[in-house]
Amino acid sequence: MIEFILNNKHIQTNEPPGMPLLDFIRYTMDLTGTKSGCREGDCGACTVMEGSLNNNELKYKTIVSCLTPLGNVQGKHIVTVEGLNMNHLSPAQKAIVEQGGTQCGFCTPGFVVSLTSHSLTDDAGDPEKTRAALDGNICRCTGYKSIERAATALADSFSGRNGENTLEQLVATGHLPAYFNGIAERLKKIRKLAEPMKTNGILLAGGTDLLVQKSDEIAEGELTFLQDKKELKGIAVQDNICTIGAATTAAEISGSAELQAHFPALQSHFKLISSTPIRNMGTLGGNLVNASPIGDLSIFFLALDAELKLQDNKGKQRRISLKDFFLNYKKLALKSREIIESLRFRLPEKDEYFNFEKVSKRQHLDIASVNTAIHLHIENDFITKAALAAGGVSPVPFFLVKTSKFLTGQRLDEATLLQANEIMQDEISPISDIRGSEAYKRLLLRQLFFAHFLTIKPELFKLRNLLTK
Amino acid sequence: MPHGIPDYNLATVEREVPATEPPAWEVNDKLKVVGKRIKRTDALAKVTGTAVFTADVQLPGMLYGKMFRAGIPHAKIKSIDVSAAQNYPGVFAVHVLEEMIEGANPKSGEKSSRYPDIKYAGQPIAGLAAVSADVAEEAIRLIKVEYEALDFVVDLDEARKPGAPVVFATDVDQEASDGGEDIEQGLKSSGNVRGPSTRSFYGGPRGDLEKGFAEAELIIERTYRTQVQTHCPLETHGVVVDYNQGDVTVFASTQSTKNTRNDFAKAFGLPKSRVRVISEYTGGGFGAKHALGNFGVMAGHLSKISGRPVKLMLDRKEEHISAGNRPNSVQFMKLGAKKDGMLTALKQLSYGTAGVGLGAGVGRIAQAMYDCPNFKTGQYDVFTNAGPGAAFRAPGNVQGAFALEQLIDELAVELDMDPLALREKIDKSMIRKVERERGARRFGWTHKKAGSDKGPVKKGIGVAQAHWPRIVNLDSTVEVRVMRDGAVEVRSAVQDIGTGTKTVLAQVVAEELGLQTEDVTVLIGDTLFPIGPSSGGSIVTGAITPAARNAAYKMKQKLFELAAEKLETDAGNILLEAGTFALKNDAEKKISFKDLLRRMRVEQLTETASRSDDYGGFMVGTIGHGELGSVQFAEVSVDTETGFVQVERMVAAHSCGRPINIGQIESQINGGIIMGIAYALYEDRVIDKSTGHQLNPNIDQYKMPFSFEVPDIQIELIEDYGGRSSTDASGIGEPANIATAPAVANAIYNAIGVRIYDLPITPAKIIAALNNAKNKNDE
Ligand SMILES: Cc1cc2nc3c(=O)[nH]c(=O)nc-3n(C[C@H](O)[C@H](O)[C@H](O)COP(=O)(O)OP(=O)(O)OC[C@H]3O[C@@H](n4cnc5c(N)ncnc54)[C@H](O)[C@@H]3O)c2cc1C
Ligand code: FES
Ligand code: FES
Repeated sequence: MIEFILNNKHIQTNEPPGMPLLDFIRYTMDLTGTKSGCREGDCGACTVMEGSLNNNELKYKTIVSCLTPLGNVQGKHIVTVEGLNMNHLSPAQKAIVEQGGTQCGFCTPGFVVSLTSHSLTDDAGDPEKTRAALDGNICRCTGYKSIERAATALADSFSGRNGENTLEQLVATGHLPAYFNGIAERLKKIRKLAEPMKTNGILLAGGTDLLVQKSDEIAEGELTFLQDKKELKGIAVQDNICTIGAATTAAEISGSAELQAHFPALQSHFKLISSTPIRNMGTLGGNLVNASPIGDLSIFFLALDAELKLQDNKGKQRRISLKDFFLNYKKLALKSREIIESLRFRLPEKDEYFNFEKVSKRQHLDIASVNTAIHLHIENDFITKAALAAGGVSPVPFFLVKTSKFLTGQRLDEATLLQANEIMQDEISPISDIRGSEAYKRLLLRQLFFAHFLTIKPELFKLRNLLTK
Repeated sequence: MPHGIPDYNLATVEREVPATEPPAWEVNDKLKVVGKRIKRTDALAKVTGTAVFTADVQLPGMLYGKMFRAGIPHAKIKSIDVSAAQNYPGVFAVHVLEEMIEGANPKSGEKSSRYPDIKYAGQPIAGLAAVSADVAEEAIRLIKVEYEALDFVVDLDEARKPGAPVVFATDVDQEASDGGEDIEQGLKSSGNVRGPSTRSFYGGPRGDLEKGFAEAELIIERTYRTQVQTHCPLETHGVVVDYNQGDVTVFASTQSTKNTRNDFAKAFGLPKSRVRVISEYTGGGFGAKHALGNFGVMAGHLSKISGRPVKLMLDRKEEHISAGNRPNSVQFMKLGAKKDGMLTALKQLSYGTAGVGLGAGVGRIAQAMYDCPNFKTGQYDVFTNAGPGAAFRAPGNVQGAFALEQLIDELAVELDMDPLALREKIDKSMIRKVERERGARRFGWTHKKAGSDKGPVKKGIGVAQAHWPRIVNLDSTVEVRVMRDGAVEVRSAVQDIGTGTKTVLAQVVAEELGLQTEDVTVLIGDTLFPIGPSSGGSIVTGAITPAARNAAYKMKQKLFELAAEKLETDAGNILLEAGTFALKNDAEKKISFKDLLRRMRVEQLTETASRSDDYGGFMVGTIGHGELGSVQFAEVSVDTETGFVQVERMVAAHSCGRPINIGQIESQINGGIIMGIAYALYEDRVIDKSTGHQLNPNIDQYKMPFSFEVPDIQIELIEDYGGRSSTDASGIGEPANIATAPAVANAIYNAIGVRIYDLPITPAKIIAALNNAKNKNDE
C-alpha cells in the first residue's frame, strides 16, 4: 500500500506502484486540473509539486506527474493546482490573470504550479530565475511574453523579503493555503518503508528514462524504488575525494555548495541539462545506466575519471572505472542484480580546469546532439594531464583515450589544438540521425573542443585563428 | 461611420445599414470597454484548473476508446480479426471503420473492398471501448490485421516522378475546411500529381505573363522549399460521445461546434437537431480541429454499440501522424521587374503534399500582395503516403510568403535598394504603408548591407509583409438575455479555443448596454445556442461581435421602452450610460439598469440577432481599409561557426479593423510570431523514407519552442476603420504568423550574405551554405 498526502487529503492506495501519478490524480482521484500533453516529460502540462521531509525540513520541488510512478511518492506531499486554490487567487494565479498569461488555458495549471513552487525557494525574488523555472512548460498559444511578464511581476512581489521565505510566512501572505502549515507533522506520521536493500524486478530511480521507454513493464512489473534510499543519496567530500550517491538527482548535484566551490560554472552547465522538473527527478545512477551516448552526466563524470562503486544483491561490492563501464551501445559492465551505489572522483585542484559544453538545435529541454567535457591540468602553459569525453559521436558516452593521451605533455597552443582535433576526428564515429548528420556532428565537436580552450584560457586563443588555419 | 486610420486619413463614410442595427460607434478612443485591455473573463477558471476541457469530461459509466492504426504506410487489407479483442474482459464495443472521412476521396464513392485501403502509416482501421484506458490499450493489441503490402512513397519529389507508387488510382476531391486553403474541385490527377489549380480566393490569372517578362529589365528565378509542420495544440483532438439512442451529446475539443454537429448528423443519418455538441474549453486548435474526424465517427459507433458514453482522445503520436499538418511546398518563382523596382510579371509554380489530402496550394499571397499586372500561379497537389494535411494558421499564405517575401528581398538586393523602400514602391496597400512607417520607426530600421558585420557572430535585419483576406461568415447569431435579478447573458454556439471570444462578446455587449465586462455572462460552445461560425480564417471576431452588438442593441431598445414607462417619458428622451437610464435633459430623473430589470413584469427578456452582410457589400480581393495587413521586422544574430541563429528582437505592425481587446490581440501576435520562428528554425515533421513512419512523433524531437527561444517582441497595433459592420472588428490569429519566417530568413541573409532556400533553417544548413559560398569564392 502506498501512503502519501495529495493536496489536503491523506491517501492510502492499493493501486500498483508503477502507476503514473498523473493517472492516479486524473482518473482515480478525478482531479482534472493537472493536464496530460505528452506523457513523456516534455510539455509540463502535468507538473505538480512534491514536498518531502529531509532532516525534518519540508522542501518542495516540481516534478512531472506523467513520469512519476506512485511508488516514488510514498511519504510525500503532492500538490496539484487544486491544492493551491484558496478563496482568493494566489499571487502566482493573480499574476497570470493580470498579465493575460493564458489563452486556451490547457498549459496554465502547469505554469501556476511551476511558478508557485519557485515561490517557495530562496530565489523567489529573482525575476530571471523565476522565468528560468518555467523551462519545462510548453505553451503553444501565448508566445510566452505574457507569462514572462507574470513571472517577473511575481518575482517583484518578493523583492525585499531577503530570503525569509518560510512556509508559515507564505501561508500568512496568502501564497499558500493554510493547510500547508500542518503538512510536515502529518508527513512525519507516515512511516517510511524501511525495507532492506533488495534488487528485485526493475530498478527504478527517478523514472525519467524508464517511464518513457518501458511504461508498460513498469505499470505491471515488480519494482524496486531507489530514489529515496538513504544509502544511495548524498554528496560527501573527504580528502578531496567527492562521493556522490547514485540516487542523487541532477538538481541536487548542481545545487551542492561544495561542488559549486570546485566547479564555478556548475549551475550554468546543469542548466543545459533537461528542464527544472526533470533535473528534480532524474538521478546520476539512472543517467549512467541508461547509457545514452549523449547522457550529459555520463560525459561530465567521464572527463573527471570517476570510479563507480557497485553492489550486488548479496551485498558484495566492487569498484570499476567509469571509462570501463560503457562497453557498447547500451551494453554495460554491470551484472544482473547489481546496482550502482555511488560514484567518486578527485575534485579539481589548483592549476586544474574543467569545462562542459553542449549544443542542440533548440537550447533547452533538449538532449544534446553533441556534448563534451574536458579536465585539464595546466602548468606553465603545458598540459600535464588531459581527459576528454564526448557524447553523440560514438555508440557510448565516449572517453577519448587517444586525444587525451596526445594532449598530455603538449604545449598549450594553437598548433596543439589543431593536431588534437585531427586525432579526435579519427577517434570518433558519429552517425547521421534525427539529431544531425555525421558531418555536422563532427563539425560541432570540433567547435566545442575549441570552445573548451576559449573558455579555460581565453587569453591564449582566438577562435578565428583556429578556424582559419 | 469612421473610416480610415487615425492620425493618417481618418474620415467619415456613409453606409446603408439595416434598420434593426445600431448607429456606428465612434473610434475606440471614445469608447469605454471596447478597444481596451480587458482581462479575460475565463482566466479565473483557467488558473484554478477548474476549466473543464474535453479531455477532462467524465460521465457516469463512461468508457475509454482507442484506435487500432495501420502499422505500414500502403496496403490493402486482406482480413481483420477482432475476436480476441472483443472477448477481452472489460471491452464493451469494437468497431471497424468502413470509410475514411478525412483527406481526399474518389468522387464516385465506389469501393474496391469492404475496408478502405491503407494509405498512410497510422491510418485508423478499427477501434474499441473499454472500462479503462489501460484495458483499451491492452485489448487493442489483440486486433489482428492481415495486409497485402504495397509500395509507398512519402517524399514530395519522389512522389512526382513517373513510376512512383500511386496513392490514389482515380481522380479525387475534397471539400475545403473552414478557413482552409482553397481547393479547386474537379481537377485531374496524373500519377500522384493533381492540378494545376490556377486560381485562388482572389480569382484567376491576370494580364499576359509573356508580355510582362518581355518588358522586364531584370528577371529573377528562384526555388524555395518549406517543410511539413504539425499543429501540436497542447490538448490533442478528441471527443466524448454519449449516443443515447440517437439523442446524441458530443463533447468535442473543436474549432467548430457547428461542423462537428453536421458531420456527426451526416455520418449517423440523424437530424441535426438531435445532435448536441458542447465545447466549453478547447485546448488550442490552429486550424486542425474543424471537423468530427475519423476518431469522432469511431467514438460515435462505440457509444452506439455499447450504449455508454465513450471518451476518445488522441495521444501525442496520433496527433502528429493523423490529425493534420501544414503541407510542405516547393515553389518555383519567376519575377520580372523594371530597374526602378516596378514589377512586370510574377509566375509561381508550386507543388506541395498534404499526404492523402488536398489543400497544398500556396497561391493567395503572391496573387494579392503586390501590384503586378501580369500574374499566374499553377499549384499542384501531390499525394504521398502520409497523414492528411489540414488548414493551419494562414494556410497557404505562410508557405507562399516564405517564397514571395524572400524573392522581393532578392530583387531589392539586385537593385541595390532598401527592401523597405522597394515595398513602398510596389505595394499599394494603405494599411501596410502605415505599418511600414510605424514599424520601421519602432524598430529603428536603417538599411544595412548584407554580411557587413565583422567577427564570427553576425547580426542582420530583415523585413517581410503579410496579407490575409477578411472573410465574413453569416452563420453568426447571438442571443442576449436579461433577467429580473440583473443578470445579462450572451449565448451562441460559437466556441472559444483560447482566442478570447468569450471576452470580446462580453465587451461588445457591455459597451452597448453601458455596463462593465464583469456584468455580462457569456455562455458559448454549445449547439443548443444559436449558430456560430467556426474558429478559422480569423473570422470569429469579425463575424460574431456584430451579431452580439446587434442583439444587445435590440435589447436596449426594449429596455428604453421599459425605462420610458417608468420615467414617464418617451424612449427617445432617454440616455443609457454607466449602468443608468436617465432623461437626456434632466439627469436627476433616472433609474439604474439593475432597478429597471428588477421591475420587469416578466422574468426574462430575450433578443436574438445575426451578422448581416458587410455594409456596402462584401468585396473579395480589394485591398482597402479594414483589410488584414501586417509588416514584421526581425533582428537575428548568426554564429557563423556553429550555424546557430538567435532571433534577438521582432517588431510587428498589425491591423485588424477595430481592435476590441488589445491584450488578447497582442497575445495572438506574440503566439503567431513564436510559431513563425519555430517554422523558420525548428519544427519539421520527418518521415523515414524507408519505413514510411514519422521519426519524431513526440515533443522531444519535434521541436516546439520554449520560453527561452522567445525574442523581445514589440507590437504596433494600428486601428483601421472600414465601416463594414456594427463593430467593424476583424480577426488577428492568422495574419500574426505569416510574415515571421520570411522576415527571419531575410534577416539571416542580411547577417551572413548567403541565402537559405529551404525551411527549417537549421544550423547545419547555414554551415553548409557558408561553406558552399566560401568554396565558390575560392574557385
Ligand atoms: C524530458 C526529458 C528531458 C531529458 N533531458 C536530458 C538531457 O538533457 N540530458 C540527459 O543526459 N538526459 C536527459 N534525459 C534523460 C534522463 O532524465 C536522465 O538520463 C536521468 O538522469 C535518468 O535518471 P532516472 O533516475 O530518471 O533514471 P530511471 O529512469 O529511473 O532509470 C534509468 C535506468 O537506470 C537504471 N538505474 C537507475 N538507478 C540505478 C542504480 N543506482 N543502479 C543500477 N541501475 C540503476 C534503471 O533500472 C534504468 O534501467 C531527459 C529525460 C526527459 C524525460
Ligand atoms: S504530460 Fe507532458 S510532461 Fe507530463
Ligand atoms: S494557453 Fe494554450 S497552450 Fe498555453
